[in-house]
Amino acid sequence: MLGLALRNLQRKPFRTYALAIAVAIAIGAVFATATILWGVERSLAQGFSKFGADALVVPKGALVNIKTALLTGEPSTFYMKGSYGEQIRNLAGVSKVTPQLFLTTASGSHCIVGNAFLVGFDPRTDFTVMPWLYQKQEREFARGDVVVGANNNYQVGDVVYFYGETFTVFGKLDRTGIGLYDNAIFLHIDQAYDLIDSSKKYADVPDMGFARGDVSALLVQIGSTAKANLIRFAIAKNPEVRVVTAGNIVTSVRQNLTALFTGTVALIVVLIIGNVLMISAIFSTIVNERKKELGLLRAIGARRFSVFSLVLSESIMLTTFGGLIGLGLGVILLRIFARSIGFHLETLNIPFLWPPLYQVALLAVAAVIFALLVGALGALYPAVAGSRIEPYDAIRAGE
Amino acid sequence: MAMKVELRELNRAYRIGDQVIEAVRDVSLSIDAGEFAAIIGHSGSGKSTLLSMIGGLARPTSGTVLIEDVDIWARDDAFRSDFRNARIGFVFQFASLIPTLNAVENVALPRNFGKGGNRAQDEEEAIMLLERVGLGERLFSYPSELSGGQQRRVAIARALINSPALLLADEPTGDLDEETEAEVMELLLSSCRKTHAAFLMVTHNRAIAEGADHVFRLKGGALQ
Repeated sequence: MLGLALRNLQRKPFRTYALAIAVAIAIGAVFATATILWGVERSLAQGFSKFGADALVVPKGALVNIKTALLTGEPSTFYMKGSYGEQIRNLAGVSKVTPQLFLTTASGSHCIVGNAFLVGFDPRTDFTVMPWLYQKQEREFARGDVVVGANNNYQVGDVVYFYGETFTVFGKLDRTGIGLYDNAIFLHIDQAYDLIDSSKKYADVPDMGFARGDVSALLVQIGSTAKANLIRFAIAKNPEVRVVTAGNIVTSVRQNLTALFTGTVALIVVLIIGNVLMISAIFSTIVNERKKELGLLRAIGARRFSVFSLVLSESIMLTTFGGLIGLGLGVILLRIFARSIGFHLETLNIPFLWPPLYQVALLAVAAVIFALLVGALGALYPAVAGSRIEPYDAIRAGE
Repeated sequence: MAMKVELRELNRAYRIGDQVIEAVRDVSLSIDAGEFAAIIGHSGSGKSTLLSMIGGLARPTSGTVLIEDVDIWARDDAFRSDFRNARIGFVFQFASLIPTLNAVENVALPRNFGKGGNRAQDEEEAIMLLERVGLGERLFSYPSELSGGQQRRVAIARALINSPALLLADEPTGDLDEETEAEVMELLLSSCRKTHAAFLMVTHNRAIAEGADHVFRLKGGALQ
């Protein structure tokens, strides 16, 4: 029956190729988009897995802001009591806690840059910033030094100026994939407190609304044998704070990406539905055209299922062939758009790594299976209808 | 078991709008193995419908079709399909070949639906049958490359591939010239004689009908 189905497809080559190309366009789009989405998600997940902190504790109203800050590096300020850090450190199973203080620079004469994201960190307890250093001076980090994220143009040894003070660029971080770390400028937390105090003398610098000792976030590392969920639950008992995990962030990223690709996904869904309907319409016509032949097959002993599988296998062969062409098309699309997509994601501070080859191969197999399903779904009704025709009526069709 | 076809009060009616058309009315008859029966009648008299009900292609409104004592319409569709494949050969009045298959493949096609056999053996038998019907030179020709008479010979070879006990032919020579018609008829009759198959044929041709063991004349769906 497969041979017969194949020959039926060869009977009208234009129709076969036109349908296959229509399927190929949809499958190519599915394959290319899925590859890109997987690449982006994987890149982010990898970045956050290297983040070092198992949880971030932020003030209760700052959940959205911290996610935005982490993802895009958009400056954001919010504060809570630094004493929460001590409470968390005392929880059994917590191995490390380090504070961070978020500041923004003002667009005025006191800073060389406006709206930069300054992060005060404590080098004595830090376990998330310094491990990312890939260029640094040959000495210990000290007050008066800053560490800059990979997206900053400063070089090690440069002198920068903000809050009326000069700083030396002690080191530069490697690209992390975390917007906050790639964009921020890190300084000693004690000096950050001093800067805020001293900035109060400038009339044009707004009141930050916090007391010395307050922090923006507490980064928590959980011991490898501890039960992370229980610790997060214990931290969250404090009604003034919220706990963010890398998992939450990746989920949030996925949601953001879904929104980013909504237009594409919607277009693909429309294409696929269109493909299924097109296959259904064309195969209804094919079944009608070949009614006599199907009746003849029934007369010489084909069961209903044989007729059903003949129609279905013809459609599946066609769409699978289309799917294979679609893979080639998808690869071309990925190559053509690689640079522009990469650039676009770069501007959104979203790093992009291609998925490994075996994952791309898996996606390719999935795309071809998807094409096969389009064929099966599209031809389902015509195949059922074709198999149910009474042989005598089918043989007399057109008389 | 010797082939016997027995029809008991067979009816088929269908509805067109408000009108009920009785295509076949209370037909009862029987044919034994090796017999040749002709069904004659005017166009629209129900000949083809009757043949289709006997062949398990059209469901009767009422009545019984017994073939080898099996009430074929009391069984399910899968049984009837297998029964048609194994026990009944059909030759239709139209060019009933699959256009994408060559002569050998068309003849071997029923073997795709039957049990056992292998492709090489099926094709070998198909070639033997095609040689028997005089198409040894056109084994791999496609239907579009064959004349009407040649196509009919291929259809006969296909009808015979499973050595049927009952051969049903619906005006198999209707569109052929006299010489070809005689050749095709001789082929059908000699094949049935050889295998002792019952042969039931619908025809307009009185001369052909005169050579039959039984002649059933239909008028308005009923036997005369």
